[in-house]
Amino acid sequence: MTDTAIAQQSGTSGANHTSHHGARALQGLDPVTFEVLKNAFATSVDLMSEQILRTCYSFVIYSRDFSSALCDADGNTVMQGSGDIAVHVGTLHFQCKAVLEEFGKDIHPNDVFAINDPYRGGTHFNDVSFIRPIFSEGEIIAFAQNKGHWADIGGNVPGSFDVNAKEHFGEGLRITPVRIWSKGVFLHDVAQLLVSNTRAPQQAMGDLHAQSEATAVCEREILRLVDKYSKQTVVAAMQETQDYVERIVRRRLVTLPQGTWETTDYIDFDPGKGEGLVPIKIKLTLDGEGIHYDLNDCAPAVATFLNSGYGTTFSAIYAGTKTFFPDIPLNSGFYAAVKADIGPEGTVVNAGWPFAVTGFCSGPYEKLMNGIFELWSQIMPERAMACAFNLEYLLVGGRDKRTESSPYFMWYDWMAGGWGGRASKDGAGASAPVFGPGLAVQPVEGQERLSPVLTTMHQIATDSGGPGRFRGGVGIEKGGMLTDATDTVMSYCCDRARSITWGIEGGLPSIPHGVWINKGTEDEKFLGSNFSSVPLESGDTFTRPSAGGGGFGDPLERLLGEVLDDVIDGYVSIGRAEADYGVVITEIDAELDEFEIDVPASEALRARIRSQRRGWLTEDAAAVAARYRSGETDMLDVIRRHGVILDWGSGELYPKTTVQFRALMERRSASHWK
Amino acid sequence: MANVRVAVDVGGTFTDVCIFDDETQRMRVTKVPSTPSDPMLAVMNGVKRAEINLADVSLFSHGTTVATNALITRNFPSAAMVTTRGFRDVIEIRDGTKDDLWDAYNDVSGPYIRRRDRFEVTERTDFAGQPVTPLDEVDARRVAALLRKRGVKTIAVCFLNSYANPEHEIRMRKILEEEIPEATVTTSAEILPEIFEHDRFNTAVSNAVLAPLVSGYVNRLADELKNGGYRGDLLLLHSGGGSMTPRMVKRYPVRLAASGIAAGAIAAKHIAQQCGYDNAVGLDMGGTSTDIALVSGGELRITKEWQVEYGHPIVFPSIEVLTIGAGGGSLAHIDIAGSLRNGPQSAGADPGPACYDGGGDQPTNTDANIALNRLGSTLAGGAKTLQRSLALEAIHRVIAEPLGMADAEAAHAVLQVANANMADAVRLISIRRGYDPRDFALIAFGGAGALHGAEVARELDIPTVVVPPNPGVTSALGCLLVDIRHDLSAMYTALASAADAEDLEARFVELETEATARLRHEGVSEENSVLQRTISMRYHGQWRSLAVPIGSGRGSLQDAIATFHQEHEREFAFRQDDQPVEIYQLALSAVGKTPKPSFVPARTLVKDPGDPATHRQVYFGKDGWIDTPVYDRGRLPAGATFIGPAIIDQLDSTTVVPPHTRAEIDEWLNIRIHLTNVGTEQEQAND
Repeated sequence: MTDTAIAQQSGTSGANHTSHHGARALQGLDPVTFEVLKNAFATSVDLMSEQILRTCYSFVIYSRDFSSALCDADGNTVMQGSGDIAVHVGTLHFQCKAVLEEFGKDIHPNDVFAINDPYRGGTHFNDVSFIRPIFSEGEIIAFAQNKGHWADIGGNVPGSFDVNAKEHFGEGLRITPVRIWSKGVFLHDVAQLLVSNTRAPQQAMGDLHAQSEATAVCEREILRLVDKYSKQTVVAAMQETQDYVERIVRRRLVTLPQGTWETTDYIDFDPGKGEGLVPIKIKLTLDGEGIHYDLNDCAPAVATFLNSGYGTTFSAIYAGTKTFFPDIPLNSGFYAAVKADIGPEGTVVNAGWPFAVTGFCSGPYEKLMNGIFELWSQIMPERAMACAFNLEYLLVGGRDKRTESSPYFMWYDWMAGGWGGRASKDGAGASAPVFGPGLAVQPVEGQERLSPVLTTMHQIATDSGGPGRFRGGVGIEKGGMLTDATDTVMSYCCDRARSITWGIEGGLPSIPHGVWINKGTEDEKFLGSNFSSVPLESGDTFTRPSAGGGGFGDPLERLLGEVLDDVIDGYVSIGRAEADYGVVITEIDAELDEFEIDVPASEALRARIRSQRRGWLTEDAAAVAARYRSGETDMLDVIRRHGVILDWGSGELYPKTTVQFRALMERRSASHWK
Repeated sequence: MANVRVAVDVGGTFTDVCIFDDETQRMRVTKVPSTPSDPMLAVMNGVKRAEINLADVSLFSHGTTVATNALITRNFPSAAMVTTRGFRDVIEIRDGTKDDLWDAYNDVSGPYIRRRDRFEVTERTDFAGQPVTPLDEVDARRVAALLRKRGVKTIAVCFLNSYANPEHEIRMRKILEEEIPEATVTTSAEILPEIFEHDRFNTAVSNAVLAPLVSGYVNRLADELKNGGYRGDLLLLHSGGGSMTPRMVKRYPVRLAASGIAAGAIAAKHIAQQCGYDNAVGLDMGGTSTDIALVSGGELRITKEWQVEYGHPIVFPSIEVLTIGAGGGSLAHIDIAGSLRNGPQSAGADPGPACYDGGGDQPTNTDANIALNRLGSTLAGGAKTLQRSLALEAIHRVIAEPLGMADAEAAHAVLQVANANMADAVRLISIRRGYDPRDFALIAFGGAGALHGAEVARELDIPTVVVPPNPGVTSALGCLLVDIRHDLSAMYTALASAADAEDLEARFVELETEATARLRHEGVSEENSVLQRTISMRYHGQWRSLAVPIGSGRGSLQDAIATFHQEHEREFAFRQDDQPVEIYQLALSAVGKTPKPSFVPARTLVKDPGDPATHRQVYFGKDGWIDTPVYDRGRLPAGATFIGPAIIDQLDSTTVVPPHTRAEIDEWLNIRIHLTNVGTEQEQAND
């Protein structure tokens, strides 16, 4: 392989040149100029990100839910920010192309355009992009783009996450490509129309300016490069940067096996169809030439907002694949090597207008990402990883009665959680979601100043990691109390209360997601993992966990000492050490961290579990549900031993869901047990 | 007669001792190997080697990596954290983010105190400082007894919202001190009275884990110096660019966490000042990494976003230094898609560059420099011999052959990529703050800085490069030049238009009282104390704030608001005058001036550099191989001026003066390289 690489790089003989090299030699792109410009493009984009982080108004942007890109004259991405949120990956070129399609020749120096349209390859309405053309000698050579998540974009609910939306009309403001600056003149009326459709117009106006100014930073850098290296060289380098990335991917593929791999992950349910998991089926083919995904067998669009438009489906495919090629820069060269047939419109992964898609991030996105992790885990076993916790957003909005003016408040919260166990170590605990490993959780002290919600607990949830030879990373429990508010409602955007975060290679599932209200009181209620506008009153409490990661490998093979360490740190309880790992630990003096492993008892227990566990997975589900309701069997045994899925509040059995979940546990867990 | 100043800077490999004699006004430098198991040994070895009589020393200052290394290796005495019930995991959950967003196998390092050593007590204060749940005294005593039983030596008390009301933390400290008198107790609001629990808790936890170790080290050294006859205070360089005495180190050991990095930046600032540059970039290039610092308007940029390892913030004002993985040992390679890359992987000390003949067969920047004859074949005055043939072989095999280039061309390409990477880093740190690098001078030092400085500057269109007299030991010079400094802050959230000027004044006076007390405690007299107020502001609704200086009289707030608008425009290229401005935080820096060495300029009568020691063929890109004079730096007189190309050799460094540039030795014996194209129209125009 190296020989081909050399031939393409060398400028000495014409014999072996490919078209890439031909173009490069023509443009006079020597290796040094190319490397320097490639790195300079990355700097120009990172500068844009740096500025938006320092000037933004939206706390969601501040928590790093934004991205930046340099696109070429055709709208293809040349370089995406190195710290960008995963979920925006592979959507910025769609938005840029939409502006080009809409405005064509009617694009001028010092114009700035806005777009948030999920039906034109965007993510969801909250993610607003600002796009600035970069001109040289009267001609567009590139576009600078910054996309950030506005705290609110209107619609039925504060924060614009309406779980009950079936179509987009109530979700928020849809911004098709629109001009905000015309030849340097600020179009105040247009900007005002946009921000006036949000709950926080002043903030939105602040972000509109901050984001637009950030794109100017990139423009200045690119023009500096043009000055120094010439327009022709910079334009050639933008193309070569894409070709370069495509080349890396294709060359890596040569060392990988060829074949087809398939898996299915599930969304909890489609309210239009009753109980039953909603399949997202992914087929991956490596043929030595490229990476091909096929999503033709996914379920029809669901009757909630947990659908995905084509932009975010591609994003999941690119971001999921990129996780196994972490060092490769992101641009359209990557998108050229990774192809997908996402099937006709109308499915959960290709919803199309006017299906509601705002919840894609908790729905298909995470399922595609984790499914892709599972597929690549077979191709690159040394980088294998079980399923991670699901992205979740809890929104509490109403009137803050702590001050006389009773301002509108929005407590908009997301948690860290556990990632899946890996081939050589435990999963990462208490980490940001796969949706964006750079998405920061908010400080409780900041939230308490802004909203009448007192956080009662924010800590690691014991036993939340899926058991395995390598345990899933731990999840978190966060509880709160509404202190002094009126007209308050709560909504939740999540999933995986039923399609529980799974293990692989014999590893076990972690714990279900879902919100409890007034837990431990007479009014206790399990609200599930997706609900909208549940009324709350001052004094009400609520709590929810984030799941841990799924386990990797058979938990009965976990080293005894590792289980003991987990018990000392409280990641695993003594009870679950026995139930999940078959390790019997006795307490000597917990105050001094003194515990003892009973080795003979552990060996006997492991033997007993080994002989019985296949039977547990086929036990009568209705009987298991009954034992849960009577308190004989706890939730973790119901899930991890029996593979039975219930309404975790009422204990009602979901028979169809259980059949599906048991089948996937058989495939991912039981079939790997010795 | 106390007339000698001594500064000791401990690095990973060498401990540098810098001695300034007030009488002769001469500076000299000694290098001894570092002793990582007990860094004090190297300090005292250096003192001995330099033949310093401690009774003659008027000021002894010290930059140390003791704290940094302890944090990285997690080598602490038994420590514990006591926190609000329900919040045991704040320092483990952090903000949840990862440094490496894409490599799912690359994890953030674990917290400084493990979960098993974190304990909860029942108490709660709300956002406004009102107690929601009183501190449960029985619970508090239970935890204290437990910690005593566990033999804990140092404890961090971290309660939620303690920045708004520290009462519970103070009470908890009292109980711990009663129950475990021998333990050190750090409370979060005392260390950092600021909002955001993870930042504050982690800063307090860092302080707690470092307390016994760092103050133990500092006290041992102070005793040793005292026994040797030193009568002054040992001054420890801290992250904020000032120093503190052992008395304050005891309370704030975490401030020493970036002691080592600060020294180089301070030296760069000093050299810039000496040369009359208000704006300068410090480029401190060593074997594995390069530290870049920015001086603007005569001051170093200070940041509060600082950490030794990702995810574990230490929120004290620290000199802003950007460290990148580019050094003499950085490896060059061709990647799978045929692109020429440089770093961040490094050959390190073992096996080292190919030319070290230590088994390394991959080319590094050092190999490229020796291949082009920029670097001679001996280092450190003959202490180390380099094998040029091995360097050439590595470059030929790994770079030249695959790219179809001549060896020299390939070695030059390696350096060009390295220089461009450094230039990108300088661009990041300057442009993101709204500065144009072209308005700056480049101060190049560290073992490899002077080899690369001129070409990095050319990449950035920086007009002048300054190479200080002893580039390899410049950091130690930084230690000589520091004042005592404390940084204090207080939360203050209010719309600027509604702020009560008297209340604001009262809060600043509170800070000043505390700061003055600290300076007095360290023996600083009133006339040597300088207090500077700053106020952090933002447009209402923004998340980040900008700190601007504020005076104390009437109208000072209005002036500060005007400055805020200006700074926002300078840094971010826009301002919003119609937007309300919000005050976020007050801060105070308290500086205790220490007497500085007075360097005397040399006379610069001579223009003639004298005869070069030798000539050799050196490769300069499109100018090809040129017969180049090699000067011995020690013999170049002040005032000497010459046109490049030239190589200037000295014990600890080699300076490259490229063709078409002009070098002069200034009155401070710095080499200044002017990058104007000598002999071209451009220079005539510039002149």
